[in-house]
Amino acid sequence: MRGASTGIVYGGLKYQARCIADVKADTDHTSFLAGTLSLKEENEVHLIRLSPPGSELVCEGLFYHPNEIWDLKSCPFNPRIFSTVFTFGETYGASVWQIPELNGQSNAPQLEQLVSLNEHTFKIKCVLWWPSGKYDKLISIDEGNLFLWSIDASNKMAKVISQESVGMLHNLSGGAWDPHDRNAVAGICDSSLEFWDLRTMKKTSSIEQAHARDVEYNPKKQHLLVTAEDVSGIRLWDLRRPKFPVKELPGHAHWTWVIRHNPEYNELILSAGTDSTVNLWLAHPPGADDSISESPVDSPKRPKDSLLNSYTDYEDSVYGLAWSTREPSVFASLSYDGRVVVESVKSYIRK
Amino acid sequence: MDEKAKRTRELLASFYSTDPSAGGGAGVGSAASPRKMASPDSINSPSFDPDVYMSLLVQKLNLEGLLQKHVEMAAEIKNLDTDLQMLVYENYNKFINATDTIKRMKNNIVGMEANMEQLLAKITSVQSKSDLVNTSLFEKREHIEKLHRTRNLLRKVQFIYDLPTRLAKCIKAEAYADAVRFFIGSKPIFEAYGDSSFQDCKRASEEAIDLVIKNLQAKIYSDSEPIEARAEAVVLLKQLNFPVDSLKTKLLEKLEDYLMTLQDEHKETGASALDTLETSEPSDIGKLSDTILSLKTPTGTHMVSVGEVSKIIRAYLIIFPDSERRLIELIQELFTKRYGIIERRVKERMTSADILKMIRVIWEDVTLMDEVLAEAALPAFSLEAARSIIRQFISTSFSHLLLEVSEALTKSQPMPKKGSEESSLQNALEDSKKVVIQGSLDLLSEFRQLLDDNLELLAKLRDLIVDWVQEGFQGFFQKLDERFLALCGRGYIANPDPSVIDAIQVDKVQTGLVLVLAQLSVFIEQIAIPKIMEEIAASFSGGGARGYEHGPAFVPGEICRIFRSAGERFLLLYINMKTQKISILLKKRFTTPNWIKHKEPREVHMFVDLLLQELEAVGIEVRQILPQGLVRRHRHSDSTGSTNSSRSNPTREDKLTRTNTQRVRSQFLESHLAKLFEQKMEIFTKVQYTQESVISTIIKFCLKSLQEFVRLQTFNRSGFQQIQLDIEFLKNPLKEFVDDDAAIDFLLKEVIGAAHERCLDPIPLEAPILDKLISTKISKSREENQSSSLA
Repeated sequence: MRGASTGIVYGGLKYQARCIADVKADTDHTSFLAGTLSLKEENEVHLIRLSPPGSELVCEGLFYHPNEIWDLKSCPFNPRIFSTVFTFGETYGASVWQIPELNGQSNAPQLEQLVSLNEHTFKIKCVLWWPSGKYDKLISIDEGNLFLWSIDASNKMAKVISQESVGMLHNLSGGAWDPHDRNAVAGICDSSLEFWDLRTMKKTSSIEQAHARDVEYNPKKQHLLVTAEDVSGIRLWDLRRPKFPVKELPGHAHWTWVIRHNPEYNELILSAGTDSTVNLWLAHPPGADDSISESPVDSPKRPKDSLLNSYTDYEDSVYGLAWSTREPSVFASLSYDGRVVVESVKSYIRK
Repeated sequence: MDEKAKRTRELLASFYSTDPSAGGGAGVGSAASPRKMASPDSINSPSFDPDVYMSLLVQKLNLEGLLQKHVEMAAEIKNLDTDLQMLVYENYNKFINATDTIKRMKNNIVGMEANMEQLLAKITSVQSKSDLVNTSLFEKREHIEKLHRTRNLLRKVQFIYDLPTRLAKCIKAEAYADAVRFFIGSKPIFEAYGDSSFQDCKRASEEAIDLVIKNLQAKIYSDSEPIEARAEAVVLLKQLNFPVDSLKTKLLEKLEDYLMTLQDEHKETGASALDTLETSEPSDIGKLSDTILSLKTPTGTHMVSVGEVSKIIRAYLIIFPDSERRLIELIQELFTKRYGIIERRVKERMTSADILKMIRVIWEDVTLMDEVLAEAALPAFSLEAARSIIRQFISTSFSHLLLEVSEALTKSQPMPKKGSEESSLQNALEDSKKVVIQGSLDLLSEFRQLLDDNLELLAKLRDLIVDWVQEGFQGFFQKLDERFLALCGRGYIANPDPSVIDAIQVDKVQTGLVLVLAQLSVFIEQIAIPKIMEEIAASFSGGGARGYEHGPAFVPGEICRIFRSAGERFLLLYINMKTQKISILLKKRFTTPNWIKHKEPREVHMFVDLLLQELEAVGIEVRQILPQGLVRRHRHSDSTGSTNSSRSNPTREDKLTRTNTQRVRSQFLESHLAKLFEQKMEIFTKVQYTQESVISTIIKFCLKSLQEFVRLQTFNRSGFQQIQLDIEFLKNPLKEFVDDDAAIDFLLKEVIGAAHERCLDPIPLEAPILDKLISTKISKSREENQSSSLA
């Protein structure tokens, strides 16, 4: 739109939107799923595909979704399955959907609801798939509980395996599933990060003083994770010493809303915030070098942790962010006004 | 003429000897030698070959030349002939003279023989007479000689017999040297005949000598005796084969004891000085100077004692030349202990004047000692000691300053009462500023005293001191930065090792302190560093003991950079902390009620009061610390409290109402379009170090947060109206804080817009109801204010 924008813009979303997800299981195309957030209109899920030369975003499918979508995750092993969390007024729900066979027509066929995760008594926050492969379990998090589901897609059955309540004092708002350990999950509480072991459903540890909005495990290195926080920006943590963050990055001018590691180059971190920007950071995880021991006095001399680029061509807060697993140099961002922008970070990847 | 004389000489030489170089003397020889090697054309060389010469001439010259040469040669030959003739004549004359002389000599010799014979007869008669006299006197002479020998012997015996009395006399007169000489003189006799004839005599004199020895020993031990006398006594004792070494060790032990007491004295004075230092309040300057004075007096007394020691040592050196090593050890030990005392004292806070005084006192002693005992290498030793003392002094000074700065910062932390809160931050800032600049300058002047002092010892350390001071400042400011971070609970950034991090928790940090730190960092960067840099350049330039490739130790640019970024960081941290606090407030406000079942708004929600209170608190803190911006806020000064003027912007109101009635979809598009055409509001501008900038940044952040919180909720009509009411109420008070009307309006509109979007049934409150509710709220808060001010 303005300036020297390098991004490819998809303007197909007609309403406001918060959620975008990479279709991980689609090995043939670079595609994303985006869901809208409209209170009064019929909401849509768009299957967006990057055309092979990488110059255009095409709407591959448009599906009506009954309610406004607050969370959307794609199934990591089946390109046609995804999950949403939705509300309407006081009602809320979470479902796993299957995209119907597209027979050349893209004019809004009905989504097929595989299962509905309807055991929740609080407002549902998010649904988590295990990110590292085929695993028939799901985690759903509402404000007070953590559910582990067993999903049987063929029989359209979902069964609660275990459940853990965090108590009335805490307020869960999100979480992440450890890609290195099927039994470890992190949950965002009011002012801390809590960690559970799914086998016992007991808390294993916690990071205090973390007002996190988003959390993600490092996809390559175990024990490392990154949080996006309202005030402290971006902080990198090592779970083995949770008292203090390993690193701090300034984050955004306002809240840092979402944070994503590049699936291939884990030192590249993408963050999006309510200051209508997307920032690309280079932050070497600790242990890879000895840079932690250096004092900040030296930091200007070492170009290691730095803001590589700031994408500012957004009109509104950016809540949705997704790297493409198929093309790790490509990411999609979704601002509140419903604009999907796909950018390439090829020039920032170390050769 | 010269040439002629030379020629004559040469000719003579050739006449008297065949070899001209051997006979001709030095002058001729040197002249002749080149001729030997002369080319064939030189006519005077012995190897002259006429044929060669002839052919050479013919070759070289033309006819005219040859003719000329011929004339020359003819003249030359003629000359030579006359010379030869002259020589012959001269020789002949000489020969004739010689013959005449010989003839005369022959005549004189005749007649001498008779005289000689007469002389011989006379000498013979003299000899016979002398023999006669000799034989007649021989006997008498023998007798005289014998008598003389006997007399000598008798005199010696007399001496021996007299020896005891003589010795006694000597003892009385304290002429021990004579006594010893006499005794030693008579010693061989005593050894030979002591057992027989001179027994009594020997005993008596030995007794006397024992007395002498005793006296001499006493003399050595007595300090009042002049050194020369004592040294002499030792020499005498040595002559008497007395075991001097045991004496020496005894004396040295005595000296050692003496030194020990001296040291104890020092220790005591040092300790007492320390005691007084400890007991006296640091602020009590009068007392402190007393301490210094009292320091001086013992040094006065010990000056005497060190002088004595030096005298003693000098004496001992003379007395026992081989005792040097032990003495050196003793003295070095003494000074090590004394420097040790200073070193211990340096760990306390003290002025460089004190240090200088102490070092000077010791240095005087050292020079005194050095005169006596140069081999002890005391100056080098002192240099080493002074080096470590001064280094320690500089580093402790800096760590004290660091402590003072953090004290000044934290002193005012516990805020006792509301009333004093107003100025406490300002006080903290002013105090810490003063401490930083004044403390640094004081340190510099202290250090300059070190440099300016003309003490030889310190002059050698000059370069090192300059380097240390520069290093000290560099380290000081780096540490200060770390300390600041630690005070904010961010110590882990500077120091990732969790074991050393202060236990300051992030949530316990006073926000005011962060603001003070921000402003202090700016102050350090802009005022303190340049000033210190000037001072350093003025009096601490040079140095360079650490090599020029490293550059100067103090790099103001780097420090400035550190503090510039630190200032920005602290300012941002302050804003972040404040916004977080407000954010929590807002979060509670928006997550607690059920917005979908919200009841109709009856009054402005109380969270706005809390919000305004927070902002007011921010304002109080900010006004104490930060300067006012350039833009003055005169526009609102007259519109305080009037609600109608700003709220009743009819166009905006109309627009809002109109859009409400339209379909949501088109509303979305419209707002989208409106945004496109509207100037994009720059909300997140760079923060400046002004009151306005900080407050407006915080307010902007809060409003943005408000918008984000609204977006996360779903409202019914009443909920939307409540938001509308609260926001509408906030409009004026917020503008009291901030100058940037446009941004506030924009953000407030955004909030209402967000609520509008998230509302199931967005019908706004009627303007009259809105006005009424707001004015109720205002009058209510006014009443509260009045009642609180009355109470």
